[in-house]
Amino acid sequence: MSRRLRATALAGVLTLALSGCGGVGGGGDSGGGDSKGSGALSTMGFGLSDEIAKTRVDAFKKDHPDVRLNITEGAFDEQQFLSAVASGNPPDLVYMDRKLIGTYAKRGSIQPLTDCVEKQQIDLGQYRQAAKDQVTLDGTVYGIPEFSQVRVLYLNEALLKQAGLTADDVNLADWASLPAVNTKLAKVSGGRLSRIGIDPKIPEFLPMWAKANGAEMISADGAKANLTDPKVVEALTTGVKLIQDQGGWGRFKSFRDTFDFFGAQNPLAKNQIAAWPMEEWFLNQAAKNSPKAELVVKPFVDRQGKPLTMSSGQAWVVTKGAKNPDAACAFVKQMTATDTWFAAAKARAEARKAANLPFTGVWTGNTAADKKIFDELYQPTGNKRFDDAVATIREAQDAAFAMPASPAGAEFDKAWTDAVNRVLSGQAQPAEALARAQQEATAALDKAAG
Amino acid sequence: MTTTSQPVGSGIASTAVAPVAAPRPEAREDGRRPRWQRILFVVALVAAAVIFMLPFVWLVSASLRPREYVFAPGFLPTPFAPDNYAEAWQAMPLLTWLFNSVVVGVAAAAAATLSSAWVAFGFAYFRFPGRNLLFGLVLATMMLPFAVTMIPTYLIWNRLGLVDTQVPLWAGNLFGSAFYIFLLRQFFLSLPREYFEAARVDGASYPQLFWKLAFPLIRPALLVAFVFEFKASWTDLIKPLIYLRNEQLYTLPRGLKVILDRFGYGGEQQWEIVLAGSVIATVPMIILFFLAQRHFVEGIATTGRKG
Amino acid sequence: MATTVTPPVPGRRRRTPLARREARWAYVFLAPWIVGFLVFTAGPMVASLWLSFTEYDVINAPRWTGLDNYRQLVADPQVARSLGNTVYYTALHVPLVMLISLGLALLLKRVGRWQGFFRTVFYLPVMTPAVAVGILFLLLLNTQDGLINRGLALLGIDGPSWTTDPGWVMPGIVLMSLWSLGSTVIIYLAALQNVPRDLYEAADLDGAGAWARFRHVTLPMISGSLFFTLIVNTIASLQMFTEVYTMYFGNRQTQGSFNSDAASFYVIHLFQEAFQFLHMGFASAMAWLLFLIILIITAVQVKLSNRFVYYEGEDR
Repeated sequence: MSRRLRATALAGVLTLALSGCGGVGGGGDSGGGDSKGSGALSTMGFGLSDEIAKTRVDAFKKDHPDVRLNITEGAFDEQQFLSAVASGNPPDLVYMDRKLIGTYAKRGSIQPLTDCVEKQQIDLGQYRQAAKDQVTLDGTVYGIPEFSQVRVLYLNEALLKQAGLTADDVNLADWASLPAVNTKLAKVSGGRLSRIGIDPKIPEFLPMWAKANGAEMISADGAKANLTDPKVVEALTTGVKLIQDQGGWGRFKSFRDTFDFFGAQNPLAKNQIAAWPMEEWFLNQAAKNSPKAELVVKPFVDRQGKPLTMSSGQAWVVTKGAKNPDAACAFVKQMTATDTWFAAAKARAEARKAANLPFTGVWTGNTAADKKIFDELYQPTGNKRFDDAVATIREAQDAAFAMPASPAGAEFDKAWTDAVNRVLSGQAQPAEALARAQQEATAALDKAAG
Repeated sequence: MTTTSQPVGSGIASTAVAPVAAPRPEAREDGRRPRWQRILFVVALVAAAVIFMLPFVWLVSASLRPREYVFAPGFLPTPFAPDNYAEAWQAMPLLTWLFNSVVVGVAAAAAATLSSAWVAFGFAYFRFPGRNLLFGLVLATMMLPFAVTMIPTYLIWNRLGLVDTQVPLWAGNLFGSAFYIFLLRQFFLSLPREYFEAARVDGASYPQLFWKLAFPLIRPALLVAFVFEFKASWTDLIKPLIYLRNEQLYTLPRGLKVILDRFGYGGEQQWEIVLAGSVIATVPMIILFFLAQRHFVEGIATTGRKG
Repeated sequence: MATTVTPPVPGRRRRTPLARREARWAYVFLAPWIVGFLVFTAGPMVASLWLSFTEYDVINAPRWTGLDNYRQLVADPQVARSLGNTVYYTALHVPLVMLISLGLALLLKRVGRWQGFFRTVFYLPVMTPAVAVGILFLLLLNTQDGLINRGLALLGIDGPSWTTDPGWVMPGIVLMSLWSLGSTVIIYLAALQNVPRDLYEAADLDGAGAWARFRHVTLPMISGSLFFTLIVNTIASLQMFTEVYTMYFGNRQTQGSFNSDAASFYVIHLFQEAFQFLHMGFASAMAWLLFLIILIITAVQVKLSNRFVYYEGEDR
């Protein structure tokens, strides 16, 4: 399509009282000259909900008094974001889930950070590989990762003992043994599920189960779906069986939906669940709310017994058309820098101490920051269960993989989660559902590539 | 077509001023009914009311419980945890959002009501070429999914430099809203034309017909439109979501979304805080409705009432 | 103000100066709407119609693709599914809302002093923001611990899995939607109170029974309101969005954990295509298809009800 046609494309039709071209991106004229940045800086998708966020933002404000920071709080919302982009008046920075980056990068709504990294001398080597994979599309970095969430296996040892089992009996490497263990641990009576044995956490964790079985659901370049792989089908079948054996998906999900993972009456304290893979943050909650619980944390493992985990998290991206890319870049650098993370972790540790609660660490996408936090700040809590758990999670961080950035990441996600849900609700068999998902995903990926 | 020929204007005026003046016909009717019917009626009504109240009672009750009791059986807020409200209140500028919602709601409702009445009168009173076609267009816009015009409309407001202000939340209503044009036209149509013809003969201009005759006659219906639009604005999420970025400008539903993001799904599934926020966002409307409802319902009832 | 007096000219066309004057004034009254229509409706509509023939992701300029989007629209099973769900919902929701509302309004009409209280009770849910309604019902519909299944258990009924069983998701949504029928009740109540008493008295003199009175007096006299609510509720339910979106799609964390086939509504699917997958062109085509569907359904309803609806005072 010719340039002129492009320029008149949207604008021509819709602007009645308006003139010129709206909508189409708007080239960013860079304001603020020096590398420290000045002028107004706006963000979207980020919130100042805790001391980790506040401390870091305060650090930036202190070092950059000339920047007028405007933080629009609230979770990332694509409608809000796209409306802003369409108007050519986007926020400078957006805080979004790393798995969304591929799509926006492919479309050009966010900027490559190549210049930013160079100008601000950001050391990319300090970030975790798995996190970097998620913010890199076709070899170009589009985002700077923040937290690093990983999954580990939590076990309620009290419940295991009751069932005459030990922590070793829940062996994620031996899939054949899981149904029997699950049935022993679960409590279903009168059609009512009152205790979950093993929660496979699907759909969410299906990629991790598939990877444990030796299958990648999507190719490393994020361009080819691989959902019909028999190993993926096997992973799904295994997970679904664990749920079906506990009264079916309806009861299972509705029971789990009532859990209060963040309170004193969490499912661990209430003995509502025996074995479940979950993000590392639950350890913080458990340490805070259930310091006496008989919690055991083991790594999630592949079928050979080797630790394995899926990593995810948020990242900062700079939008195309950002008015103040320099300040944005300075902000991103400082927010994810080792010292800033350390200061934030320190604030958290102090807050915990003041509340007489244990501090179980902060896991970031910055390995240097993590090292510093755990070397200098972290103190064993004195509770062996939690100290062991912290060690397990630190190791898991190094065994993490991530779903690669994909130009059709959103469609790909929808395709396979829809498939899992169809199987869970009894509409389709695993192979059949995944075959359909493969078709849908391939169509979307091809379209996005073309 | 009219069944009774008594002039309507006086009837409306009097009932609008003193809506309860007439003896209640239903009381007399009821007197004739057998006792069992009356008992059945009371039981049915109370049962229906209870069913409608339960979700709300549960909402209020659950918002007053600690998190782990949100799903507990029963309707009593035990243990009692009023600090959910304190927490919601402290975490968010709820007072500001409340104020914003009121301002935007009044502006939106006033704009929609006045402009729609003006346009509706045009459709109801005049005969002119293309009337049916134009009215068909009005109806058609009512059927237009918001998604069709959402992005281009955003670009217009953006071009006017009014994004991230509250103007787009209400200013579109200045041009009449299809729903109320349709509604108010129905009310105007129920006024007998002869009444206006008489005023015309007496030398009234068209704007005078509108302001002096039609407008007062349908004043109760205008209140209906006002309350409907105020409610629509009060509960709308989409527009604030698209147009507002500055948290200080948020309306309550937009704020509720922040609460939901922070405490609900995306956050810690602290449903009790989200529920407390929901109650705070709802209660002002209940009070308003309770105060205005007599006029409001009489509004629909009185307009066009035959003597 | 005196009307212009022009001597009638025999043989001239029928449009009189008065009529022309009237027409001029008519457009003065219509002017705000016409301006608003051109700027905020027609313009954006043309834009989106044009977009429906392109591939457009908001970020890059639209690329003309002809009828591709419409071809894909017809072939896409997810579009068909969401449209089917939406029609199913509408077919359940609208008649139920009208029936129940009429029943409630008939009850309310007979209440004396307490009418205000009961009206508020039925209208209260309408004033609850849709986001809050969605959250509330997601919790109420919980299979094991939700209020609704707890209530059913009291009656000895083992409640269904409202949020996960594909066959029960839609009935659960309808249940939620019925909670918010207060506006329709109020409209019916007003219409009922508006029925002239002498009509009932006349019917009584003719010896009509309760059903005959309802059938031959009440129904015709409130037919205008019935028609109005039929149209408005149909249009609204075909565009169902916020409550269901909050329940089942509102957040990426939860989005994956519900069966999106069962809860997919047309506008939700459209919204996802537009804002999650950035297929604005395709979404525009979807929006236009929905517009046409609504247009046709409404036209049929208008045609049908022209026969049944009775307007007082309408003489044209």
